[in-house]
Amino acid sequence: MARSRLGRRTEATEATEATEATGTVETNGTNGTNGEGQRSDPQDSTGPREGDVQLALRDVSYVYRTGTEALRSLDLTVNVGRTIAVAGPSGCGKSTLLAILAGLMQPTSGRVARQLDPRGSRHEVAMVFQKDTLLPWLTVEAQVGFHAKLHRRSRSAETKEWVASLLELGGLTEFAGAFPYELSGGMRRRLAFLVAVAPLPRVLLLDEPFSSLDEPTRLAIHQDVFDITRRYGITTVLVTHDLAEAASLSDEVVILTRRPATVASHHEVPFGDRRDLLALRQQRDFLDLYATLWRELSVQLEVRPRAATPERGADDAAI
Amino acid sequence: MRRSERSRRAAARHDDGAGDDRILLVRSLQLVLVVVFLAGWQFLPQIESLSDRFRFVDPIYVSSPTKVWDELYYQFVGNDSGGGEMWSFMWPTVWASIIGLGTGIVAGLVIGLVLAESRLANRVFRPFLIAMNAVPRIALVPVFIIAFGPSLRGTAAVSFAVVFFVAFFNAYEGGSSVQTEVLQNARLLGASRLQVLGRVRLPYAVAWTFASLPLSVTFAVISVVTAEVLIGARGLGRMLLISMQTGAASLTFAVTIILSLLGLAGVALAEVTRARLLHWWRP
Repeated sequence: MARSRLGRRTEATEATEATEATGTVETNGTNGTNGEGQRSDPQDSTGPREGDVQLALRDVSYVYRTGTEALRSLDLTVNVGRTIAVAGPSGCGKSTLLAILAGLMQPTSGRVARQLDPRGSRHEVAMVFQKDTLLPWLTVEAQVGFHAKLHRRSRSAETKEWVASLLELGGLTEFAGAFPYELSGGMRRRLAFLVAVAPLPRVLLLDEPFSSLDEPTRLAIHQDVFDITRRYGITTVLVTHDLAEAASLSDEVVILTRRPATVASHHEVPFGDRRDLLALRQQRDFLDLYATLWRELSVQLEVRPRAATPERGADDAAI
Repeated sequence: MRRSERSRRAAARHDDGAGDDRILLVRSLQLVLVVVFLAGWQFLPQIESLSDRFRFVDPIYVSSPTKVWDELYYQFVGNDSGGGEMWSFMWPTVWASIIGLGTGIVAGLVIGLVLAESRLANRVFRPFLIAMNAVPRIALVPVFIIAFGPSLRGTAAVSFAVVFFVAFFNAYEGGSSVQTEVLQNARLLGASRLQVLGRVRLPYAVAWTFASLPLSVTFAVISVVTAEVLIGARGLGRMLLISMQTGAASLTFAVTIILSLLGLAGVALAEVTRARLLHWWRP
């Protein structure tokens, strides 16, 4: 197995030189597990470039086997290196949307285009789930190196250095040798984020990753998440309930309708690539944007007459 | 934030030691209890008015601590007239238990893991495994003996049959307890199906299996001794048979004490192994 990977690595290198590896991939699962060369320059020449479309959903619908229609004719475009926040009423299908973007689920109808450059130097997609996905028997350090370990590179000096630098960026250096049960809730979420960033993915999907945290802890993590995703040019889709979080971290905010979800409105977030999130929260234009987003979302939260579905009561109660 | 984190961990460690101020009292009360029990066992049967009326204080049936001690000494060390044979009876029991335990756990772990991983295998085999678990294994002793002979192999096979199911059900539960998100996360990070099995499911299955290790140890010893009693294979079970046939109460108690100590040592060893291996595990 190690040998075949080695073979692939050579292939990938050749492809890099030929600069032809890029191509639009119609999703059919995430079977390409390359993730070679973690510490490559984010602006590598092979992959999709800034300004290119990285993820695109066209007219995507999803109906669960139970008959519940989660998404209806949804369009979404995410450009390379951008961060898009997706907000919407509780249970509106946001997690379904992420699962489709991750390639974990196939849409019932519509097209999913993911420009991921599977033979390129970077990992394709990583995700931070709402639930805890840490492996309790691995130390913080081993956890962040998990991806490298899968490819038998965990002991290389390069990998060690990369893991150490990530821990430094994420503020977990002191706890490199600690096990998850020794960490607080906030640190566990930091760790989950670093685990996902470790393979230097082109696309990072965040499924309400910080919703369980108290406000001060969340704010501290936000700054690190923002800095790290920008620093490495990671295209990010953030699903959240928290409109302040959405406005702080993203370049665009998309508000979804109630289920079946489709895009209700789209908002540019004009705060640039360098942000001091604490200061930002006191700025007039941030507060204005927040107010706009809240107005748009609240429209979706209003109870309006429509065909009753059995799950509706629970939906309405959640916000 | 980090500093408060440190102090919280330190505080948690300190709490673990709290409540130790009464440990002396607890230990002395326990000692008193043991002394009273031994004294009662030793002296009550010597009161003739009691032992004449009640069988359970007749020295012929209940022996006494000193007689049991003498018996133990005789069996382990021996004197001019013989004895000193206990070791050769103890080792077969110990070995059969260890072999049954080891093979049972490994086999149970592997099959439990496979069934946790493969839905098809699970659907096909699970009903049979549940049916097999319902079969009283002790009733199958004759079959094992026919297959493996009235020897250590036979008794080890019986304990395998008992331990296997404990390990299997735990490994299966552990392997199945892994949350979908954890599996999806591993897949997204580039793990192959085999890697998910080895690096994610296996540790969970091992954790659950080792959580039941003390129970498995007890089961292993009990099943080996039972098989020995039934077939008279060399071991502590046969020692019990001999004591029964000769009406030697002291020997019965001596063997019982050895078995208890073996069980205690095994369980203690299992607990230590579990604590060291699974310190990270919070079920």
